[in-house]
Amino acid sequence: MRPQQPQHQQQRQLEAAPNANPDPAQSGEAPPKQVALAMDRLGDAARLIADIRLGADRLLEALFVAAQPHQSTKPLHLFRKEDASMRQHLQDLRSVGRQLEESGVLNESLRSRSNSWGLHMPLVCPDGAVVAYAWKRQLAGQAGASAVDRTRLALKAFTDQKRRFFPHLDDGLDGQSTESALKKHCGPQVLMGNHQEELSDYKTISDVLLHLEKEVPTLKVFTYERLDWLKRASSLPSSANETSIGTSKEHNFHSSNKLRPGSLSPVATEKISVIELLFPSIFRAIVSLHPAGSIDPDSVAFFSPDEGGSYIHSRGFSVYHVFRRITEHAAMALQYFLGSRAETALHSLLHWICSYQTLFTKVCSKCGRLLLMDRKSALLLPPVYRPYRQFSALKISSTQPNSSAKDTSSDLAQAYHVGCFSEEA
Amino acid sequence: MTLKWVLHWQPNAGSTVNSQILSEVSQCVESINGVKEGRWRATLTFYKPHTREQSMAVDFPRDFLGISLPEQPNKYYFIIRGQRIVLEADSSIQTLMEKLQSYKTRVALHFDGFQYQLGDFQLRVGKVVPTHSENLRGIVMEVEYVPISSVEKARQIMEEFLDIWQEAVSKRSLPGHFMHMEPNFAEYGLTDHYTSQHTAVQYATVMAQLIATVQAVQSVRN
Repeated sequence: MRPQQPQHQQQRQLEAAPNANPDPAQSGEAPPKQVALAMDRLGDAARLIADIRLGADRLLEALFVAAQPHQSTKPLHLFRKEDASMRQHLQDLRSVGRQLEESGVLNESLRSRSNSWGLHMPLVCPDGAVVAYAWKRQLAGQAGASAVDRTRLALKAFTDQKRRFFPHLDDGLDGQSTESALKKHCGPQVLMGNHQEELSDYKTISDVLLHLEKEVPTLKVFTYERLDWLKRASSLPSSANETSIGTSKEHNFHSSNKLRPGSLSPVATEKISVIELLFPSIFRAIVSLHPAGSIDPDSVAFFSPDEGGSYIHSRGFSVYHVFRRITEHAAMALQYFLGSRAETALHSLLHWICSYQTLFTKVCSKCGRLLLMDRKSALLLPPVYRPYRQFSALKISSTQPNSSAKDTSSDLAQAYHVGCFSEEA
Repeated sequence: MTLKWVLHWQPNAGSTVNSQILSEVSQCVESINGVKEGRWRATLTFYKPHTREQSMAVDFPRDFLGISLPEQPNKYYFIIRGQRIVLEADSSIQTLMEKLQSYKTRVALHFDGFQYQLGDFQLRVGKVVPTHSENLRGIVMEVEYVPISSVEKARQIMEEFLDIWQEAVSKRSLPGHFMHMEPNFAEYGLTDHYTSQHTAVQYATVMAQLIATVQAVQSVRN
């Protein structure tokens, strides 16, 4: 996204944090005052970046609204307004950057240093969370931004995200379709009500994963501490390296936290923050948990089983179009699961991911074909959408293979192409 | 190694392949949104044993092929179809062969053409020409689906792609169609995980088919 790029560039510039003792010869002010000024300006920069981020979200929202039928020129006005304010923000950010440069806070040598102010500012924080604005966590506590400001920004971000990812919760837009959807699916919902007690039994990671392994025997599940996963990802063979693939198939990477019944020590569970789901020859999905040891997923990504490299993590993107699309769709599914029932979100998410084992075999439930030319990207893709609303992981666990069970669970055994998917499905 | 099917052009009975068909096929690829990327070239060599007396030649396998593939510039592949043997060797073995002089080149063919990208699919369309000649002997096509390497798992996707492709080609009313003949990889000792050796075996099968076609045409003429 274009708006994000200047953001990241500025972020990297500002990550090279200001010199604690700038050269007094460069300005007439005493060092403590300079530091205070620098802090203020960095706080301004932080606010501007937050505004830019929100502006980008609003631009996306305007585009999304414009894509809906029966729209007036309202989205166009929104877009123009946001465009103007974004440019202003970026302009302001540039001038703040220049001010910081002039005061000696930012210069070339500092930019190349990744570790400044004694603070670690990588994309992966020491406690393991992968955060887009790692430095902001530090700055928010120290800079001039007040608690009121921070709350205001947070509230803005939350409402915007809610509008984007949970349109069904927004009464103005989707009141009608929610009602009809409810009428259609009142059957499965009754089922869900009966089984809610069972779902709440899966309170720990080991419960969830053991249940999953039982239900889906073709799946291979591995768990890792955050940094262990990064090592493993970098050592995964990529498809270009043909000769090592044969050997790696036999060599299952046994991390110290590999989940097997009876071998899980209490200490290890607390540190689990990455779950790898591997369907051999089909796909590999990475789910990240935050905080470590909890059952709260915070991101998910899909990859080809032959991909390797340090970009294979829950916020990374595959080089293949099919897995990129699924990852985008999975992000929405994750938000949905977290929004509807947070305690069972991990359970639902993992089972929903398992529904993708039929990715290359299950035809689209609407058009009956496996490959379809996607208009927007002009690519041939298999059905990459699996519905997640009203998804009940328990239907999969039903052990009756007879036809009546198939009918009630036909809802979740569905797959759609990008172009065939509609919200009412 | 990602999965690949090698197809060859089967002309209708009584017609031959020509460069017009080749350009129509290339246009067809572009019509399904294929993006031309670059050239590709593979070389296949038929060997014959070098023996003192001609009568001894019959004791040696007649279908001994060597092939070099563009995706593996440092490797060379040998296939003996009759005995279902495929071997991957370092490309320096060709120097060794020349020094040994035990097998000489009977015929060498080039597969020459363009490569197209179609999302997660990669297509190659190439003409089959003997070295030192511009005589078009056939058309081959490679269809590769990059995200998967399992022969079985990708089968449905490839079949559907082939259906879509055949449909696109048939709209142009060309005198022939593309054929895919899947060799029995297990007989060659190859596994479900696709490798360049699978590609080499597919090319050997394609060559056998092409030769049979050419011989059939010749016998009809005679």
